[in-house]
Amino acid sequence: MSSSSPPNSASADPHIQVRNVSVDFTHAGQQNRVLHNISLEVPRGGFVSLIGPSGCGKSTLLKVMAGLLPPTEGSVQVAGMTPQQASEQRRIGLVFQEATLMPWKNALDNVKLLMQVAHKDRSDAQITEKARQMLNIVGLSHALEKRPSQLSGGMRQRVSIARALALDPEVLMMDEPFGALDAITREEMSDFLLDLWRKTGKTIVLVTHSIDEAIFLSQDVHVMATNPARILESVKIHMPYPRDDSTYLHPEFGTATSHLRRLLKDGHSMRAAA
Amino acid sequence: MNTTIIRNSTMPNTVKPRSNLSAMFHGAMPTLILTFVVLVVWELVTHLFDIKAFVLPAPSAILRELIDRQALLASSALVTAEEIIYGFLFSMVVGVLMALIIVRFDWLGRAVYPLMVLFQNVPKIALAPLFILWFGYDLAPKLLLIVVMAFFPISLNMLVGLQSVDPNLITLLKSVGASRNEVLWRIRIPNSLPYLMSGLKIAVTLASIGAIVGEFSGASAGLGYLIQFASTQMETALVFAAVVEVSVLGMICYYAVEFVEWRFITWAPKS
Repeated sequence: MSSSSPPNSASADPHIQVRNVSVDFTHAGQQNRVLHNISLEVPRGGFVSLIGPSGCGKSTLLKVMAGLLPPTEGSVQVAGMTPQQASEQRRIGLVFQEATLMPWKNALDNVKLLMQVAHKDRSDAQITEKARQMLNIVGLSHALEKRPSQLSGGMRQRVSIARALALDPEVLMMDEPFGALDAITREEMSDFLLDLWRKTGKTIVLVTHSIDEAIFLSQDVHVMATNPARILESVKIHMPYPRDDSTYLHPEFGTATSHLRRLLKDGHSMRAAA
Repeated sequence: MNTTIIRNSTMPNTVKPRSNLSAMFHGAMPTLILTFVVLVVWELVTHLFDIKAFVLPAPSAILRELIDRQALLASSALVTAEEIIYGFLFSMVVGVLMALIIVRFDWLGRAVYPLMVLFQNVPKIALAPLFILWFGYDLAPKLLLIVVMAFFPISLNMLVGLQSVDPNLITLLKSVGASRNEVLWRIRIPNSLPYLMSGLKIAVTLASIGAIVGEFSGASAGLGYLIQFASTQMETALVFAAVVEVSVLGMICYYAVEFVEWRFITWAPKS
């Protein structure tokens, strides 16, 4: 049990700082602890994953970090302010498991949506130009006019990433963004995401339940367990970037995989014993 | 390389439309044949068993009636068509407004919605004599009857469409400071349009029923009035002819709505 392991990447200026956060939901008069005393840091420009079994509260933790859900106890800081403030200043971009696009609009108009609401001072031409650039970054400059129904699952998710990037956030928070995709597309999207991270230098927080994905992508992996929902251990992944297909053969990849698998299993059996 | 060339040059424009048309024809074939057989049997039965024309007229007699009395039928159909179209348009306005109000104003919505559901359980046809009593024998009571019959499926379907928006999309919009009105205009209303169209297709059918029932209850013109009048005169062939025209009228209205859907709603709702 290394829940007392030192906070990872104790940089002087963490981009996101989560301190002793707990979240309780009250349901039918019964208080239910969804998150228990969670602390973690995400360095500026870092790539961090939250991994755990379904229902361990990793999505809830992401919501707290994004300012969508106030913590019952503890505090969160994003870029030195509350996540609500950071969200108001559009420092946080969100991507969900489903692409959540408007089926009646094409890719370009979908990317424009949030800008049209957020940037009332900008002309339509400016917004369109920005949307074009963003779709170019995610490699969809050939599909501007395509409706979501004409795009593959991976392409739809790229549109939703472009939409998030269009507001120039510092942090990209992604809740199982590739969870609905097939295995081959997932790997493709992993490569894409690393490339995007390298090109843009954003801080990325990724919620996933795939061990491979977490290790392949991240610098830090925070392993979560249920009952009570907490962080079991924060694991550093010591593999150099750029990572590619050969990364899967890196000795560290195997070590980290078995370590994470053990952690997740232990977390699970501890819950069963409880 | 070869395969792409073949695909690009032959597939899209040349082959498809024609194959669609012939497919449509082949698809309709069984229905056409069955209809023809039924009509022939009907014709034969009325002759073989010497069935009186005022009980069951032969299809040929109905056809003759459709041609000989076409002026009377056409002027009646015009009256009924007017009732159906205006009634339907009114129902649409009322139905859409109700749905928007319920979604946009919480308090009002909570007050109105249960009443609306409650009212749905009133047999509206029973209200027809009241409407006649209040508004006479002209257009007004028929419009009212159609509206009370047809607005509910419109409201209900549109409500589902307004509310079945991906909550994450709303979260995103609100995170950039979108107002309730912006969410309504940018997301909820466009999202509701396919649902609205389903509601309208149900409503347009109810509108023609409403028009006929309204005319049964008290009218001086229209196909419903003609049906009642002709049946008291034992002019059964004319009754059938009027029924044929009502059906055709209903079908035209239905396909008009479907055409609007096909033309303007080019995406399928997410489900």
